[in-house]
Amino acid sequence: MISQILGGVMLAYLVAGLLFLAALLWSSSRLKGFALGLLGGALAAQTLAFFARWLASYNQAMIATPPVGWADKLQLIIHQVPLSNFYESLVFFSWCLACLALFFLHRYGESFLGVVGGLLASLVLAYASLGTDSSIKPLMPALKSNWLLIHVITCFLGYAAFGLAFGAGLLFLMQAYTDHPKSPAPPLLDRLMYRAAVIGFIFLTLGILTGAVWAETAWGRYWSWDPKETSSLITWFIYAALLHARLVKGWQGRPIAWLAVVGFGAVLFTYLGVSFLLPGLHSYLN
Amino acid sequence: MTQAPSSASPLGRLWKTLTSLRLTLVLLILLALVSLIGTVRVQVFDSLWFLVPLGIFVLNLTACLIRGLPRAVRRSRHRLTAAAALELPERARFSWPHNPNPQSQVEKALKRELGAVHQTASEDRIVYFWERGRFRPLGPYVVHLALLVILAGALLGKFLGVQGQLTLREGEGSSDFISEGKEKPLDFQARLDKFQVFYYPNGTPREFRSDLTLTKPGKPPVQAVCRVNDPVTFGGFTFYQSSYGHVVRFEVNEGENSHVVEAPVGRTMEIPGGRARFRVLEYQPDLVMPGGGQEKRLGPAARLAYWEGRGHPLIIVVLKNRPELADRQPGPHRFFLKGSNFFSVLQVKRDPGVWWVYAGFLLLLPGFYLAFLRPAERWALVLRRNQQGTWQGRLLGAAPRAREAFQERLERLQEILQKGGTA
Repeated sequence: MISQILGGVMLAYLVAGLLFLAALLWSSSRLKGFALGLLGGALAAQTLAFFARWLASYNQAMIATPPVGWADKLQLIIHQVPLSNFYESLVFFSWCLACLALFFLHRYGESFLGVVGGLLASLVLAYASLGTDSSIKPLMPALKSNWLLIHVITCFLGYAAFGLAFGAGLLFLMQAYTDHPKSPAPPLLDRLMYRAAVIGFIFLTLGILTGAVWAETAWGRYWSWDPKETSSLITWFIYAALLHARLVKGWQGRPIAWLAVVGFGAVLFTYLGVSFLLPGLHSYLN
Repeated sequence: MTQAPSSASPLGRLWKTLTSLRLTLVLLILLALVSLIGTVRVQVFDSLWFLVPLGIFVLNLTACLIRGLPRAVRRSRHRLTAAAALELPERARFSWPHNPNPQSQVEKALKRELGAVHQTASEDRIVYFWERGRFRPLGPYVVHLALLVILAGALLGKFLGVQGQLTLREGEGSSDFISEGKEKPLDFQARLDKFQVFYYPNGTPREFRSDLTLTKPGKPPVQAVCRVNDPVTFGGFTFYQSSYGHVVRFEVNEGENSHVVEAPVGRTMEIPGGRARFRVLEYQPDLVMPGGGQEKRLGPAARLAYWEGRGHPLIIVVLKNRPELADRQPGPHRFFLKGSNFFSVLQVKRDPGVWWVYAGFLLLLPGFYLAFLRPAERWALVLRRNQQGTWQGRLLGAAPRAREAFQERLERLQEILQKGGTA
């Protein structure tokens, strides 16, 4: 049932992204309104699916370890948040992308945000449903922690914000190196890259911090140069450079766009590269 | 900047380099590149390739802090006054007829958009003024200070902290642990009473649990349970559940001779007499075999690799409940499985720096809030009565780091203020 809903959501994101593109090409506000509604509706459906999976995951865990008392119950609810494997992380990533796209659309009203957000969210969701194992597995002891929830949420909100900054940066570079009509206006793209990078940077930092506190309680080391930690630090360095260049040096446009693109490469390496190429606690291999 | 040496002297040039943003950018990119190598070669982080840029980075942070913090503190101490508000750039003008007095309407409009507004009145005019984000200049410095605190905590941990492992069998106690290949004393005894693994119905592990008794000399013993994600702190040390294994007890007979050998899984053991060795490859507390539509439980079972002299290893399966099968074992030795218990590996740690690291983490939060979410914004509205008796309003304001939000607010203010009259 949940996977059917998510299939529909994937399709809706795709169609919404294409509608935003059409709205952009023919500057039609009716199409845009329709696309907005579709994106919002799909996001709502995905939110429902998220809670449904949470419930299913909780029910399954409840059979194995029946909670005693309300504190125990609350603990189990927090532990069973569906953010504990690769499939669930991809689904949540697509949710974050759609959510942030909608947030920025609300603020800036630029259709290309819907194109970037909708298409990326749809792509990620497609990968989740086709390429990964979606069954609910019991939680391994290392993941049984209250930090799981906040750690994963902050990390993926960060990734998604960087994804939008990447979209804006790519568009900026395409405009800068070709003779495409300058729409959306480069200064707007520049501002968007910056705003999205700030949001991403704040969330990435929070993600690293919560991860460090968790590692300290689980293994007694807040930092152990695990490949995931290292590559998240690389990502952090790149975006710190971007923010300094922009805020203090006043750089704008091309160099910032390049940093946003390279930074997202580091994000992908952190998320996927490390998990598939290198062994470690964040590995999705088994 | 005031006490900094002039930029002509060598010292001044050094200072200028140390506080330059170019250095920061170069260092950030350099650290990112070195870390990239570190994803495959962790040793890089102990080498000068990483430590030198990191050291310069610390100097860079400190220098920027020394240079900028006093100025930021001074700036954030200045509250917006009416006089200063009048210096803000003008953004819009309004005029209202002399009747009714627009004062209350203006106040209501400002209150709706900005919240509580200061005002000073003189004979001919009223100045309303409002500011937000006065402490914004402190934000970046709080963030940088937090990073330095975190690094200081890491340094403290590196030099004053201890990390090691404590391996205990069930029933075994110890007053020291292994750190970097050496024995380090604990000033108490740690004893493993029991180790347990709990499983989910599908057979994957659900929980690892060590029941410990910790005893300081001359004090009553303390019971504690150590689990993954649930460490135990005692006597200044913290214990983390890290790993575990089985120790399998065999009776090994060779003709008339009989020995008892306790073999941890995975370790090669010499059989007394020195002619043969064996290693437990796998131990199952209860071996389950599918058969005839119904599972068959065979009880404790071990799979061994067995070497006689220099020959190839042979594989032997030993079942506790079927000792008669020992006759089929190759070689002169007969293995009988007598029992097993667990050993548990605990990570032991003392790190006085961790509270500094956490303090730095906490300090980062207000730093980010000030730096990114509280842009400085100042507004003033000057209301004046003309000679003709009509009212005139001038809207002043500035927000150098939040132009969009400023523009939006300006439009809203213009709209609601104009309702009081014509522009």
